[in-house]
Amino acid sequence: MKKMKWLAAALVLVLCMTGLAGCSSGSSNTLTLYTWEGMFPDEVLSGFEEATGLKVNYVNFDSGETMLSKLQAAKGGDYDLAIVDDYIIETAVNEGLAQKLDTSKLSNYGNINSIYQGQFYDPNDDYTVPYGAGVMTLIYDPSAVDIDIKGYSDLWDESLRDKVGVIANPRVINGMALKVLGESYNTEDTEVIERAGGLLIDLAPNIRLIKDDNIQVDLLSGEISVGVMYTNQVALAKLENPDLEIVFPQEGIGFGIMAGFIPSNAPNADAAYQFLDYILDAEVAARCFEWLCYYCTTEAAEPYIDESVKGFVTLPEGFNVNMEMIQNVGTDIEEIHTRIWDEFRAACGQ
Amino acid sequence: MKNRTHFPHIYLGVIMVFMYLPILFVMIYSFNGGRSAVLWTGFSLDWYRELFRDSSIFDALINSVVLATLSSLCAAVIGTLGAVGLSRVSLRSKGVVEYLSTLPIMIPEIILGMIFLVFFSLLGLPFGMTTLLIAHTAFCIPYVLMQVKARLVGLDKSYVEAAKDLGAGELRAFVDITFPLIRPAIVSGMLLSFAMSLDDVIISVFVTGSNVNTLPIKIYTQIKTGVTPKTNALCTLMFLATLFLGLLSMFIGRSRKGSNKQPDATTNLNINEETGG
Repeated sequence: MKKMKWLAAALVLVLCMTGLAGCSSGSSNTLTLYTWEGMFPDEVLSGFEEATGLKVNYVNFDSGETMLSKLQAAKGGDYDLAIVDDYIIETAVNEGLAQKLDTSKLSNYGNINSIYQGQFYDPNDDYTVPYGAGVMTLIYDPSAVDIDIKGYSDLWDESLRDKVGVIANPRVINGMALKVLGESYNTEDTEVIERAGGLLIDLAPNIRLIKDDNIQVDLLSGEISVGVMYTNQVALAKLENPDLEIVFPQEGIGFGIMAGFIPSNAPNADAAYQFLDYILDAEVAARCFEWLCYYCTTEAAEPYIDESVKGFVTLPEGFNVNMEMIQNVGTDIEEIHTRIWDEFRAACGQ
Repeated sequence: MKNRTHFPHIYLGVIMVFMYLPILFVMIYSFNGGRSAVLWTGFSLDWYRELFRDSSIFDALINSVVLATLSSLCAAVIGTLGAVGLSRVSLRSKGVVEYLSTLPIMIPEIILGMIFLVFFSLLGLPFGMTTLLIAHTAFCIPYVLMQVKARLVGLDKSYVEAAKDLGAGELRAFVDITFPLIRPAIVSGMLLSFAMSLDDVIISVFVTGSNVNTLPIKIYTQIKTGVTPKTNALCTLMFLATLFLGLLSMFIGRSRKGSNKQPDATTNLNINEETGG
């Protein structure tokens, strides 16, 4: 019987704890921030809590799609600020899940780099504040490569046989071939996409590996000599080995933006404004982007960013390569992309 | 009685290499000075300092443990009732019921997660600990149910019949006879459930609310920004805690066995007969 008593006591204790956990939220001095884990350094979150007296309730999702379905279920409520990828924001705005921003409440609004504004997901900047951009650069080890890589077309060079590693992202890699053909990432011309697929098959002998996670390690270890990888992977590689060369491909650059928006029925929109304003502050933003290693969308922060990371989180001076975002395309076009991607993978033996 | 085959050694070796070597690497990299969880750049304790400064990680850990405890307890009650009930009926639909109750294991988690999301929002339940608990209990029940069912199959019906013969009611017979006999199965089912609930991320991410974060969600959603050795540090601490608890329970079990040998279920029966009458 003694055991039963212990069990009962444990149950009561656990129930009390859940009760307490339930009480701690929902008050008006909490900011419910909904984004991936690790988007802000701890010092920035605690600095915000100290500066405003608000408590940050940091909740996470694994993908933009999950965020969207949660927000739909909550009818645009529950969360005060969501930071997510561009293409998901387009859908969220179309479904009326975002509220218009009152930029007069954001004293630091002018700090934003205008290159990252007015994009397809929010053409008039009504809803979003950008926070970090992924820029599709090339990275290579000059000591292991005989040629001077200037753009995507150099990846087809015969001297790079079995030396190239790419991420497993169909739209990015197919887009690379489209760029070599001088076309848009978002072309809906099926014949052009097919031609790009043919071009990719020619690239196959040069491909050493296709993978998404930790591909920068393969570059650092010498498994591959050239990489097409995600922005923060480029940053991590460059941090470990400063001799690596980052290239802005001359054919044009694809990029994606993460941005914050306030859900339509946010319980505490004021807190969201305060937080957005806080992270738009030049010095705070500098800390954020040093940590995040995505491209800095807050122009005013650039002078404050540490020299060791500045080279790969800010666009070079006088930057004028044509930039294009990867956008949502129709399902039939999406299908063609999937098919030529599968053929490419098969040709690479992956 | 010397062991003539090397099979146990090979088995042990394989287990060590495939299960514990990776854990060892995780532990080593928690002391990494750099930000990478794969490239060694020097020894430091920075990530442990970071970890202890981050209260949200410990909040998430507490949430996870609370949730796993509660859902395994709920699953134990419901699963045991279900298994005992199923063992008593002899309907033609029994097979169907059994199949239906183990279905949550077969359905892909992502689909289960979506179903729960839609269902709870239709009911208008506020997302949070309650919805997490319901969802976790639901997918934990089959683990208890299957364990207890298997145990009941091997159980001699005559124990219960003897108890009833001696005047015990249905409830009394269950509490004194059936329950002690199936207890090991319940406990192992609960432990399985606990583990399943503790590391679930796919379902949790769909059914959690704006105020509850569990540890697996927190770790899994780092994919966008890269996993830092802070997570390794946390894993190391959790592994050591588990190891400590495991050793502790082994130690207690052994010392208890040494001092007074625990009577097994059948001798228990005799004692109950003597004292209970």
